[in-house]
Amino acid sequence: MPLGLTLAPKVLASKTLTSWVTPVAHWYANLAGYRKYGLKYDDLVIEEYEDALHRLTPREQYDRAYRMKRASHASVLHNVLPKEEWTTPQEDVRFLTPHVNEVEKEDKEREMWDTVFVSRK
Amino acid sequence: MLAARASSRTIQRVARNFATVVDSAGIKVAAVDNNQPTTSVTFLIKAGSRFEHKAGVAHGLKNFAFKSSAKRTALGTVRESEIYGGVLSASLSREHLALTAEFLRGDEQYFVDVLASFVTSGRFTRHEYAEYVAPVVESEIEESKFNPGFQAIEAAHAVAFHNGLGSSLLASPHNSITHEDIRSFAQSAFTRDNIAVLGTGIDQATLASLVEQSLSKISATSQMSSSASSYFGGETRLPAHGGPQTVFVGFGSAGTPTPGIAALSAYLSPTPSVKWSKGSSPIAATIPEGTTVEVVHLSYSDASLFGLLVQGPSGSAVKEAGKAAVQALKTVSNGLKGDDLKKALSKAKFTAASAVDSREGLVSILGSKVLSGHESSLDTTLASFDKVSEIAFAKAASTLVKVKPVFVAVGDVATLPYADELGL
Repeated sequence: MPLGLTLAPKVLASKTLTSWVTPVAHWYANLAGYRKYGLKYDDLVIEEYEDALHRLTPREQYDRAYRMKRASHASVLHNVLPKEEWTTPQEDVRFLTPHVNEVEKEDKEREMWDTVFVSRK
Repeated sequence: MLAARASSRTIQRVARNFATVVDSAGIKVAAVDNNQPTTSVTFLIKAGSRFEHKAGVAHGLKNFAFKSSAKRTALGTVRESEIYGGVLSASLSREHLALTAEFLRGDEQYFVDVLASFVTSGRFTRHEYAEYVAPVVESEIEESKFNPGFQAIEAAHAVAFHNGLGSSLLASPHNSITHEDIRSFAQSAFTRDNIAVLGTGIDQATLASLVEQSLSKISATSQMSSSASSYFGGETRLPAHGGPQTVFVGFGSAGTPTPGIAALSAYLSPTPSVKWSKGSSPIAATIPEGTTVEVVHLSYSDASLFGLLVQGPSGSAVKEAGKAAVQALKTVSNGLKGDDLKKALSKAKFTAASAVDSREGLVSILGSKVLSGHESSLDTTLASFDKVSEIAFAKAASTLVKVKPVFVAVGDVATLPYADELGL
């Protein structure tokens, strides 16, 4: 898994678990602090998959670069952004993860075809 | 001895198979099996450039062929086809998009599935358009710039038919096509009544059952439309460099193509029947050395374009050759007598018959007939030539050249002739 182990699909599958975990998840995400710098969670993903970044729309690429610039500027000033620029939970969507998963799957498939052993039935 | 053997051979000759068309769940399937060592299956789809709702989407769709579908990725398609030893190809004409798979006998199940899964569940992703499709589209456009003959015929179609058949096979160099445009074009084109499946080297029943299985979920009616063609004619001049100087003189007509025009083009064609000889065509003898004249006869479902493609090293040479060619055409259009007409007809018959021998020829001839619902057979095509009399030929030829001609000059437009200088 490119993005580390996750139990999210399991949790989301269960209604009870989701209702228990959601408040904790919000608390954790706010505590992590990236939202105060105007970043989204997917901005923290290590840029391991260049292809995935290219698959963003030009608008998404531009916005991502803008958020990073703004955050690093805030970091230089040793201060968080003003509150109205913080990322809201609604804005904090996984815009890159689907692309990373897709690229990962394609890489796996390529490896499979490169090493496959074929036999006639 | 020799005579005896020859006669026994004619007796043993197996009657030639010819495709019959069956409807397999609303999709027309035609197959012909002459015991070829390999099989080919073509999905012929009415998705040529004349049907496109936005210029260039047909070209984009052609290059999107065999990219990822719900069943397999683009890479998976390539690698798996390689393992089977098959060849996948896509080609585009003004009326049809042909998706073809050629493979060894016995692998039909896999390859029909490859073709069908693209048609039924192509994904048309944005990144595939950017990474694979757009670069190929661009390079094909770039390549066409160095082919003045192709450019001349493209321009001739635009001048002759304006919209519909006039729309270019290639996208324009600065197009704004997106994967969404291509997807919506594909959705409107890939429908039951728009697809014909043609097989060679495969049993009709086998192909029909495979097609029925794999295309069962496809939607029934298409929303594709193209207005009936009408012929306009006119003149255009395109500056170009690098290739030979080119002039195209064409005469078009709306309506179904007639066998008389095929005979006319066969008679005029300066391509000799014996290699390295000078043909007996009236054009071959009169054009200057170094220039070439090619007779172009393109027939579509509701129109045809007949023309002479004149190429040469310089504008003046092209002018001289063009003059001679137009003169020859005018003389012939007054009518052919006796042996000349017989020669023209048998040459046209041979061209029609030998086209059916090659796979591509068979698919293009059979396919357009299958899609338009005509019963297809070589015999009817050949029989139509037998009906061409001296009077019918003269009438067909003289009405052809009476219309306003298409004149296209590609190359050094300063030295290339104008239409009136060629005697049009």
